[in-house]
Amino acid sequence: MTAVASRTGQPAVPSLAARARDVLAFEWVKLRSARSNYVTLLIAAVVTIAVTALVAHTFASTRASLPGGANTALATSFLGYAEYGVIPVSVLAVLQFTSEYTTGLIRTTFCAVPRRWAVLAGKAAVTGGAALVAGEVLAFICFFLTQAMLSGRHRGVSLAQPGVPGAVLAAGFVLCACALTALGLGAIIRRTPGAITAALAAIYGLAALCLVLPAPWKYDVGRFTMPFAAFQVVAMHPQPGLLSPALSMLVLVAWPAAALLAAGLVISSRDA
Amino acid sequence: MIELNALTKRFGPVTAVDELSFTVRPGRVTGFLGPNGAGKTTTMRLILGLDVPTSGTALVGGRRYRQLIRPLRQVGSLLDATAVHGARTAYDHLLSVAVSNGIRRGRVREVLELAGLESVAAKRIGGFSLGMKHRLGIAAALLGEPPVLMFDEPVNGLDADGVRWVRQLLRQLAADGHTVLVSSHLMTEMALTADHLIVIGRGKLLADAPTQSLTRSSARADVLVRSPRASELAGLLTGRGAGVTPEHDGGLAVTGMDAPAIADLAAAHGIAVHELVPRRPSLEQAYLDLTAESTEYRAATTVAGAEAGS
Repeated sequence: MTAVASRTGQPAVPSLAARARDVLAFEWVKLRSARSNYVTLLIAAVVTIAVTALVAHTFASTRASLPGGANTALATSFLGYAEYGVIPVSVLAVLQFTSEYTTGLIRTTFCAVPRRWAVLAGKAAVTGGAALVAGEVLAFICFFLTQAMLSGRHRGVSLAQPGVPGAVLAAGFVLCACALTALGLGAIIRRTPGAITAALAAIYGLAALCLVLPAPWKYDVGRFTMPFAAFQVVAMHPQPGLLSPALSMLVLVAWPAAALLAAGLVISSRDA
Repeated sequence: MIELNALTKRFGPVTAVDELSFTVRPGRVTGFLGPNGAGKTTTMRLILGLDVPTSGTALVGGRRYRQLIRPLRQVGSLLDATAVHGARTAYDHLLSVAVSNGIRRGRVREVLELAGLESVAAKRIGGFSLGMKHRLGIAAALLGEPPVLMFDEPVNGLDADGVRWVRQLLRQLAADGHTVLVSSHLMTEMALTADHLIVIGRGKLLADAPTQSLTRSSARADVLVRSPRASELAGLLTGRGAGVTPEHDGGLAVTGMDAPAIADLAAAHGIAVHELVPRRPSLEQAYLDLTAESTEYRAATTVAGAEAGS
């Protein structure tokens, strides 16, 4: 859209890029101006790093050499991360919509930006971006921390090894994928308790359920859940019976994509 | 300018807004009146594109709200002053709204000053009183310097000072050429503020007229006459085709004849008149008459003596 000054004395129509900037700035100011968001991210960071260090310590002091040592050493970096970092970040993502719905602020948001897909895109970009940055920073911190603890015992892996940088980057992305799934569910459900429950069920609950299924189904169904897929993309020696790392990555993209698509359809047709 | 054309909104079996058509013009304060549940808020939500109409259209400056680019520069609105995130400071709240529509940051300070909130700009909204939240909401509505402004019950819950501030602000905005639509369920408030009134009940339009003419058009206008020879005078009046209703205290409520005609008639027959008062019903009464049929939540018993008021 080109900028054309209208004859009625109204301001010139801003370009699509300028309007996209408006929406991103809107969501960014809202994200950075609520203190609870920093507290949540801090909790995520502290808990993740602490648990990762604990796991690595336990692993390092285990004498028996496990088969596929490199695999386990790498995956160890992200155990604390996947188990504990995902929860606070997902809650933060859920709140981006539910806190606006419960306070009524969503009406101010929709008055300011009446195109609801634009609101969703803005929130997804800002929250997803924040989760991605937090995820990558934590992934690298956890990786270096774990490998420093393990290398003293000659059980670590190096970032120079083939496949390792990709695995660490993918681990960082897991946090973003979980956050965007949670964001979409928050928009659909609107109420905080229900949305958190749904997000944790989607992110963890389904996988936990698959673990108790009988043998063939356990992996046949389980490989489409986020934790199984996350394991495949961070493991250097993928487990047979699950999807390949590439297909697992696709699963990690499909979950947030589906959640955001459903959210967009729901909020654009529903009265605010 | 706000234009409604056969605007209708149904929620299941309930018709909240029913074929509503009216135009809100610039340069005056238009009061939007109706009993609770009449559909005022729903109408405003439809205008703002928050709800989708079942049929009909609501246009602001000739366009549907959802089609507006940077809408806060065209329409400023306050629906619910308490709908804010308590963890944010007043400044940050306004800043977020400003950047969403490409409004310059300096404008945030201007509206804070206008609303008298400079001293609490860095304070979290959670600690604000209702009055301060109202000021903040109005400040947000004014951010984009929009030609059209819409406020839903802006004086609800305000103290006398706040009410006066809102009233003066609305009058000033209208004088500056803005289109101002203000909803209220209080006739007395609107009588002081609005130049023009739109009255709805059960989602239907009941009146769309200047505030002044709404009282004049009421059928309740009459003349109170007191005379020591009341019954004799009553006979003469009914003989001339006037309607006469005796009141409890001996007075006569006369319709169909104005005060000079009644005085002349009494004088011609040598009847002394002690009191002769043309009575125009209050706006409140005119409003009650208009909405009596359509009050959604009526009290089980009507207040005794309400009829004799004014």
